[in-house]
Amino acid sequence: MTSHQEIYKEIKTITQKLIEVSLCDQQNFPSSTSIGRDSYEIAYSGMQDLSIALKNINYKDIYHELDKGKNYNFKMIDGALIQLLYTYRKSELISHRLAFLPSPFLEFFQNDPTIYEADEIYADIIAKNILPVPIRFDYDPDNHKELDHPKCHLTLGQFENCRIPVCSPITPNTFISFIIRSFYNTAFRKFTDDLTFSSSLFDKTITVAEEKVLHIAIY
Amino acid sequence: MVNVIRGDVDNKPVSSRRLAEYFENRPDINGSLYLGYPIIGTPQGGYQIDALLLSREHGIVIFNIIEGTNINIDIEEAQDESVTKVQSKLLQHKNLTERRKLMVEISAVTFAPALNNTPNDVSEDYPIITNESTLGEYLKSCKWENNQYFESLSSVIQAITSIRKRRQRSYVQREDSRGAKLQRLEDSIANLDNNQSAAVLETVEGVQRIRGLAGSGKTIVLALKVAYLQAKHPDWNIAVTFNTRSLKNQFKHFINTFTIEHTNEEPDWEKIKIIHAWGSPSTEGIYYEVCKKHNIEFRDLNAARNLTNISGQEFDKVCEEALDKIQNFDQYYDAILVDEAQDFSKHFLQLCYKILKSPKRLVYAYDELQSLNNQTMESPDVIFGKDTYGNPCVELQNKSGEPKQDIILEKCYRNSRPLLTSAHALGFGIYRNEGLIQMFDDAGLWRDIGYKVEEGNLEEGKPVKLSRTSNTSPIFLESHSKIDDLIIFKSFNNNREQNEWLVKEIEKNIREDELKYDDIMIIHSNPFTTKDAVGSSRALLFEKKINSNLAGVTNSRDDFFSEEAVTFTGIYRAKGNEAAMIYVINAHECFSGAELSRKRNILFTAMTRSKAWLRVLGYGEDMRGLVKEFEEVKKRNFVLEFTYPTEEERIIMNVINRDMSPKEHERRIQNQRNLKDIVEDLEKGIIHKEDLSPELIEKLKKQLF
Repeated sequence: MTSHQEIYKEIKTITQKLIEVSLCDQQNFPSSTSIGRDSYEIAYSGMQDLSIALKNINYKDIYHELDKGKNYNFKMIDGALIQLLYTYRKSELISHRLAFLPSPFLEFFQNDPTIYEADEIYADIIAKNILPVPIRFDYDPDNHKELDHPKCHLTLGQFENCRIPVCSPITPNTFISFIIRSFYNTAFRKFTDDLTFSSSLFDKTITVAEEKVLHIAIY
Repeated sequence: MVNVIRGDVDNKPVSSRRLAEYFENRPDINGSLYLGYPIIGTPQGGYQIDALLLSREHGIVIFNIIEGTNINIDIEEAQDESVTKVQSKLLQHKNLTERRKLMVEISAVTFAPALNNTPNDVSEDYPIITNESTLGEYLKSCKWENNQYFESLSSVIQAITSIRKRRQRSYVQREDSRGAKLQRLEDSIANLDNNQSAAVLETVEGVQRIRGLAGSGKTIVLALKVAYLQAKHPDWNIAVTFNTRSLKNQFKHFINTFTIEHTNEEPDWEKIKIIHAWGSPSTEGIYYEVCKKHNIEFRDLNAARNLTNISGQEFDKVCEEALDKIQNFDQYYDAILVDEAQDFSKHFLQLCYKILKSPKRLVYAYDELQSLNNQTMESPDVIFGKDTYGNPCVELQNKSGEPKQDIILEKCYRNSRPLLTSAHALGFGIYRNEGLIQMFDDAGLWRDIGYKVEEGNLEEGKPVKLSRTSNTSPIFLESHSKIDDLIIFKSFNNNREQNEWLVKEIEKNIREDELKYDDIMIIHSNPFTTKDAVGSSRALLFEKKINSNLAGVTNSRDDFFSEEAVTFTGIYRAKGNEAAMIYVINAHECFSGAELSRKRNILFTAMTRSKAWLRVLGYGEDMRGLVKEFEEVKKRNFVLEFTYPTEEERIIMNVINRDMSPKEHERRIQNQRNLKDIVEDLEKGIIHKEDLSPELIEKLKKQLF
């Protein structure tokens, strides 16, 4: 079982690496707050939980609200926001929320387009046919309902009932590595040496029935 | 001397002019006469004062002006109202009062030069003046004892106090820290100078040009002008346009504060547009709007590439195309103000001109030296062309007794004298071993931007020695710190050493010097490699618990600084912004090589972002060269000494140091490689001289020697 200290350390290292290769423009320091005996919330400094308040509003507004309040671990070069939140109670992981929220305002940077363009890293990002899709990995065993609400699940595009089963909770390294590999591939290949993320895994939480539908797994 | 500043007096022009003429002929009075100003915010909206004299001798004299002979107004009431309005405004400023008493003398008079007889029913306490001699007599009776308040009073009248004082530094503890010095510096800059107030208030029925150095206050002047114009003409549609996105919020802040000062109300944002030049379906823009209004195809950057393959000219081309395609222009703006006009081609300015209603109130402000793409601004007759009779559509003339059409802001309030002269020295390569890199075609421009000839002549082929005066570069900008602390040029052995020093210094700035995060800006010289170059220093800072931003590549591009993080930026986004402590990193990239004038302009622009301290860092041989150039300016006590190049020499400079298109660039490298191969093969005997055709050899000889 990965401890809260390890998670905190992973996030710290990730932040530093992303700054180093200049994949993020802005970032917050990771934080670890004690919320009881052997209980911790791992987030970022200045975190404000808006997940409920922003439930029923337009994605553009959600994004704007989070961006304005600096509610993220990092803001990537293309404006995507990444949040990494973990809660431990009595030394045990009881929830996580890992979100990738791409910028809905993506378009040519008119101010100095040449620079924006000249950089190959942007190549992944500025193609016109791209539709930004928010991605979230949630771990929420308290609300588990077999098949309807897997303990760990992946939500694509903020669809209310999109909960694709995931085999186990996801570590920060696994998540970031997935994001960068998939959405910042040019950068990933360019900085292969700098961006290796070793990954430890959490124990399996998926049920047998859930394994029988299309799901996400990592071993 | 009385400096007359001509605001908008469109409903009382004749009497106002007579008043102005009177004061222009009174060299014995020290102060300013404002026409059509100030406008004072009251619960009922803006209250307009017809004219106001502000002088050391008299304090404030308010003039209620009557044009013609019609006196249907209650003169007593009008004078009372003006006085109480001005009084209430001044009373709000603590530095003008002692206990509960206002220390400013306020007099009021009605000026009615066309009147033959003054009405009898007005009490003697309410003077009515119909001719100049009575005016002279009257002024003698207005005496101000407490004129030590003059400076504070000027700054309040110019309504600038509240705008400049936006940074509170109450956290400052140590008298001698950088934070404390900065606080004092910021307080000293609160006054507008005469040129600036003229630029704000004088409204031209036509085109107006404002030129000024970096730090001369062009942006603030334009913003104040917008606020003033709206206060005077609430129904006008006004646009402010610019190229650097990060200026938007600055504009908004200034316009807002100043409008509230004038009218007690928020500006009417329906009427004022702070609008980008290009625009897109999701962002307002002058060009985008033109396309929509005239139903022509809008081109974004990608589409613009089909019109030109020269990078940097895309916007020029789309504007040119729009001008070609549109026969009849809609005219829908009453005034357009263009900031950073040096970044635009004449086609954009023409576009603005076309969509303006008559009398075409176009104000464009620029700084020739800040052009990053080496374009120079053309003269107004080239920009706006000629009419059907061959006369220039626009001529800029400063006629006496009329608002100025061509304003130069020669005083620089941002950069200290040593810093500014160093920036010029390096920008032009004044002390470069291989000689000058570029030079103004018009030698007189040096005077315009505030230099004085110490020795020699500003003439082609003649040696000259130029320096800045305390008038154009105020002393308080440099006296807060020692020269060796104002500017540091430092050369390192490698990038790692540079970064370590940088990080150590920033840490000191934050933890010991009492500087705020947004007092610090790190500018990278080469815009194309900024992101790669700054990563390691940012990571190092992060380790030391100091957060940093890479200036708004993404959607927050309207903002620039952050209060919790120091800002790293490339040169383009740094433009138009300033910070107290500037670090220019990898400066060696600006030392030599192809496209040198562009590189030196980058260095110049980066250096002039600093309003207090500057550190220029880099490594390797080139950086040592740059340090040497700086040491030379310093050794000569920041005087520029050179022989003014002739036209021929300037042409050669322009060719050598020109900007190249990517194609040209590639070709140059390719050719150099080929030539090198040929020489090497000749040396090795792989090919022989005799293998080359004699004609070719002859041609080569001719070209090369």
